[in-house]
Amino acid sequence: MTDGPAIEVRGVSKRYGSGDTAVLALDQVNLSVAKGSVFGLLGPNGAGKTTLIKVLTGISPMSSGDASVAGFDVRRESLEVRARIGWVAAEVILDDDFSGWENLWLQARLQDLKGWEPRATQLLEYFSLIDRKDDKVSHYSTGMRKKLEIALALLHQPVVIFMDEPTIGLDVSTRRMLWDIVTGIHKEFGVTVLLTTHYIEEADALCDRIAIIDQGKIIAEGTPSELKARVKADVVQLETSEAIDPARISAIPGVQEVRAQGNDWMIRTERSEEFLPRLFQTVQPQLIRRISVDKPSLETVFLELTGRRIGQEEPMRDIRKFYAQMRRTRH
Amino acid sequence: MTMQWSQFWGLYYREILRTFRNPFVLLVTVVQPFMWLAFFGSSFANAPKAELVAFFGSSNYIAFLLAGTLSTSMLSVGMFGAMSTIQDKRFGFMKRILITPTSKGVVFLSKALGGATRGLVQFPIMIAAAFAFGVRFNLSPVEWIAWVVALMLLAVGFASLFLAVTASSTDWQTPGVVSNFITMPLMFASSALFGSTYFPWWMKAISSVNPITFSTLFGRSLVLGTPVDWVYFGYLAIFAGLMISIGYVVSARWLKID
Repeated sequence: MTDGPAIEVRGVSKRYGSGDTAVLALDQVNLSVAKGSVFGLLGPNGAGKTTLIKVLTGISPMSSGDASVAGFDVRRESLEVRARIGWVAAEVILDDDFSGWENLWLQARLQDLKGWEPRATQLLEYFSLIDRKDDKVSHYSTGMRKKLEIALALLHQPVVIFMDEPTIGLDVSTRRMLWDIVTGIHKEFGVTVLLTTHYIEEADALCDRIAIIDQGKIIAEGTPSELKARVKADVVQLETSEAIDPARISAIPGVQEVRAQGNDWMIRTERSEEFLPRLFQTVQPQLIRRISVDKPSLETVFLELTGRRIGQEEPMRDIRKFYAQMRRTRH
Repeated sequence: MTMQWSQFWGLYYREILRTFRNPFVLLVTVVQPFMWLAFFGSSFANAPKAELVAFFGSSNYIAFLLAGTLSTSMLSVGMFGAMSTIQDKRFGFMKRILITPTSKGVVFLSKALGGATRGLVQFPIMIAAAFAFGVRFNLSPVEWIAWVVALMLLAVGFASLFLAVTASSTDWQTPGVVSNFITMPLMFASSALFGSTYFPWWMKAISSVNPITFSTLFGRSLVLGTPVDWVYFGYLAIFAGLMISIGYVVSARWLKID
């Protein structure tokens, strides 16, 4: 491999379908992932994270742009790329009819590895699976299955591992265990990790650098500290039961910015501790339906960049409209 | 080439192992043609022997039917091969395979040959069952091998056909629908159950280009001890070669991953 970045993405777009029904899943994405780093792609469901992984692994062709992985062009040298990458899926994908060892055997066959057995043994020992290597994987716990999947991804000593929402659907303790594993394999095996997630705390805890992706576009990139430093204020989100003059809120001392969508408000303020008592003096507390306060975090970065939270796919007012419509239909 | 061979062997072995580790699939694979032989084959058990000899060339209808039953059962091989591929797509395993340097063509070949090998499990069971029903065999080792290879060619051909037709599908129902669509015409418009002497002209026309007819007539002549027409073996090789070529190209181009 050359001395360049482990992953380089230049103006990559991906369009599904054509004509009026076409969906632009990736829109001119640019990324550079340094060798040996853990790079996080953070965004809500449907942001384009999995599509980018599909494009970079050669599973799905890009519509335009260029990308290289491990120094090889994704389009023209797909086989070279696939010999140098590992993949951990959101859902565990193993052959349940096979034992752990047989799954490793199959992976070795697909990667055409010679003398793979010592490496497989080393990985099984590292992941504490060696005693269960001959058991069918259908008898493994979720955590064990996930560990085996990572062992498969590491068997051929890849340059880059793609982890596509690796902790989705896992309980808290298994998620913590997986975090330790990601940190561990990164240090132990010196592999570059591209991890997608919509869990803020996961990206914050694991990643050296993070790109925030939304609606197919990279909207911010940096280290977690750099990203958090972009937000120099607390964010107060407010929902009122009736319309309020924005000028009244803007006039509260310390308020930096007020954004309103109907009765939903996003207010940036220097210190929320000082702002809240003044707010309750300005707006009658009974008019406030919901209130939340966010200190600077990746969540507030996303909120500031997009005007909504990760996981809040639709604006709240539309959901209320939907329920109101349902009630009218019933009556 | 070494890499493709390594990948093919891994995926082929997986197909075989999955069959043998699933007793229910194995049971159905074996029992289905056995039932044909037992129930359909026994339907002429009390027919006058002279008429059986005149019509079927043997006093034992099962001896006549055996090669046809084995040939038609190779149709189900294609369906199972296609279902196994769709299962891999739906459970994401196809993605796991294709994220390695494995080509879609290698995946296709492993599925086609794996399915065909699985279908041949029926052969020894059916031979034993026919023996139990009174059929006696007088084949040389070369003729035994030729019969197995002929069935393998037929099975690979049908497996390739099914895989090509279902390459872009992820719907569980597709292989069953395709199977229903082609099984009946191919089975009845062939010499598998009866000779084609009394067929109408259009069924005779289908039968004359039907690979099930080629396989049936080849195997039947071996069982009944009549002169073997090796041209049928050649037709089967052409059928298998053609279907593998089509299946390979179609899979490489249109095999859908998820």
